[in-house]
Amino acid sequence: MCCTAGIFVELFGTARIASGRKRLRIDAPQQATVGELVAVLADVCPSLVGIALQDDLSGLLESYTLNLNGMEFVESDELTLRDGDTLLLFSSMAGG
Amino acid sequence: MLYGYNGRTLVVDLTRQRSYWQTLEPHVLRSYIGGTGLGAYLLYENCPPGIDPFDPRNPLIFVTSPLVGSRLTTSSKFAVLTKSPLTGFIGDSLSSSFMATELKKTGADALIIKGRSEFPCLLSIDDGEVDFLAADDLMGLTTLDTERAVKTRLGHRTRVACIGPAGENLVRFASITNDGGRQAARTGPGAVMGSKNLKAIAVRGTKSVAAFDRDALNTIGDDLTQRSLGPATEKYRTLGTMANVAVFNSLGTLPTRNFQQSTFDGAEGVSAEQFHQSNFVKNAHCANCTIGCEKILVTSDNGKKAKGRMEYESAFALGPLVGVADGNTVIRASTLCDELGMDTISVGATISWAMECFERGVLTDEDTGGIDLRFGSGDELLECIRLISERRGIGDLLADGSLRASRTVGRGSEAWAMQVKGLEMPGYEPRSLKTMALGLAVSTRGACHNRSSAYEADFSARVNRLEVDEQRGRITAEGEDFSAVLDSLIWCKFLRKAFHDLYEESAEIYSHITGWDVSAAELRLAGERINNLKKAFNIREGWTIDDDTLPQRVFDEALPTGVVKGVGLSREDLDSMIQGYYRARGWDEDGAIPIEKLQELELEEVVLNNREALQPALGD
Repeated sequence: MCCTAGIFVELFGTARIASGRKRLRIDAPQQATVGELVAVLADVCPSLVGIALQDDLSGLLESYTLNLNGMEFVESDELTLRDGDTLLLFSSMAGG
Repeated sequence: MLYGYNGRTLVVDLTRQRSYWQTLEPHVLRSYIGGTGLGAYLLYENCPPGIDPFDPRNPLIFVTSPLVGSRLTTSSKFAVLTKSPLTGFIGDSLSSSFMATELKKTGADALIIKGRSEFPCLLSIDDGEVDFLAADDLMGLTTLDTERAVKTRLGHRTRVACIGPAGENLVRFASITNDGGRQAARTGPGAVMGSKNLKAIAVRGTKSVAAFDRDALNTIGDDLTQRSLGPATEKYRTLGTMANVAVFNSLGTLPTRNFQQSTFDGAEGVSAEQFHQSNFVKNAHCANCTIGCEKILVTSDNGKKAKGRMEYESAFALGPLVGVADGNTVIRASTLCDELGMDTISVGATISWAMECFERGVLTDEDTGGIDLRFGSGDELLECIRLISERRGIGDLLADGSLRASRTVGRGSEAWAMQVKGLEMPGYEPRSLKTMALGLAVSTRGACHNRSSAYEADFSARVNRLEVDEQRGRITAEGEDFSAVLDSLIWCKFLRKAFHDLYEESAEIYSHITGWDVSAAELRLAGERINNLKKAFNIREGWTIDDDTLPQRVFDEALPTGVVKGVGLSREDLDSMIQGYYRARGWDEDGAIPIEKLQELELEEVVLNNREALQPALGD
């Protein structure tokens, strides 16, 4: 599919515990909004809904954040994804 | 009438075995609030300039806050201040739980302990009545055993703050323990307590402090409690701060093997996710807390059973930093530090320095007494912790902290003593967290992440964490002022994201407690005042611009692994951020505080009483 990218999503914290999954492989739009990513994630791993994803799939829960390839914190509405990219999904509350 | 405060300090002189009360004027309370702010003021006033931290005249100060005694969530906290035996600068630590409320119920807002007892002492404070009891039977006991013994002797309602063997032996990063394992540990206040021949403080009280408008306070408090159960604290309530381990490893910010790298192959073994699966027993709370961040873990192998709290900083310092990937060993090491009464960060960082020395041949079998002190050696780590607490063998060298130990050993090992101003670095890799690098370099208490929380910017889209720019100075200064208000009121830091606007909401709460019409701007200014007073204390005690820096390794070595492979930090880049910070603070380019800034903050009367000691570091 020319408009999708095969990417990985690493799960941390309660997202990992609730889903029993450490790493997912998903096909996501190359130009994806966070909402579109959430929809794909909910489809592949429904147990993330209510844990890291909003119940209505409108976005991430306030306490979660996404980071692209360990480098870029995702706060914009849209991000560019390439085959082999890795998204990290973890609690946004640093500290300790 | 004074609301929210007792308006008094209890001063105890251990040398003369007497005590007396001092009045705390309302303008002092309003200017410095409580906690670390009021503590900094009391330290500045009561610590003679230039003394050795183990001089009996060095005061050991416990400070409550205006929030203590209210129903507000996370409000049962207190600060401990003294001149640090590790840094020679301001030492301030926070601890929590029933000791805070009990101390305030004695009728004091603060307790100042001066002098040195001629005999091992158990200081009893019963509703403000002071007794100097013999503590010979307590000497040598662990912190938990000491607390149990004091409660057996004086009654189970008694609240106890005590030191373990490490404090008795003047280990420079010894902690003070209260309420079954809460620790005031960073900067080593337990060593000062030990130098005073003071094993434990037993506190009981019945007095209460009224709030000006209790109904309004409770209404706000109930709302805040609800928010404390929401997404802003989710991480702390579920897996606790240990959740950082696996995330930091993926981001290349997990200091490993004495900061030689920032990723750890064995990180999963000491991650929150693994502990949750194999070792988790239950959550625990401080008094008056609705978050419950504490995770109680127990070992799961066939070795000697250990059970205790685990935080990210302990997991990092006694795991990746020393190359240990076995979660059970980390639990044993952390529990051992708590029982012996030591700061887990300084313990791990000092031992990791020694491990690197050993692997490089700078320390030998002869130096270590035959201990094969290599990275990843779990049993050797535990043995080393015991030796430090006893100041025996290699432990005597390490009990002085990594900076002093490296100066004793020499041979280039100073470059890999990972400390700032003598305080060992926490689990945030500065090369891949540039705002945090600045925060660590300029913090008044040494390598501290909590007094600025500068990492917050790095873990967001606000900045590029791998690059430096002008705005880091402003971000760090604002973070320090924000933290000073948190630590003076005192709120738990884990509650901070539950506020819509910390300054606005705290001003309203503080006004309901005290009856004073306090604005958000006044609180913000108090935060700046407190940080400037801490800096003035350090200047008085010999601070120079050379003290605001990072260990040489940070400048010499790029990170070798992970997504941050090849990333470093030049001294020039750090210096440019430091200059940006000084500008944001309104300080001179040599870091001195101009008189105009002191006047603006209404600090000139406090600080200029010691003007002679401040020259020449104080600006004209």
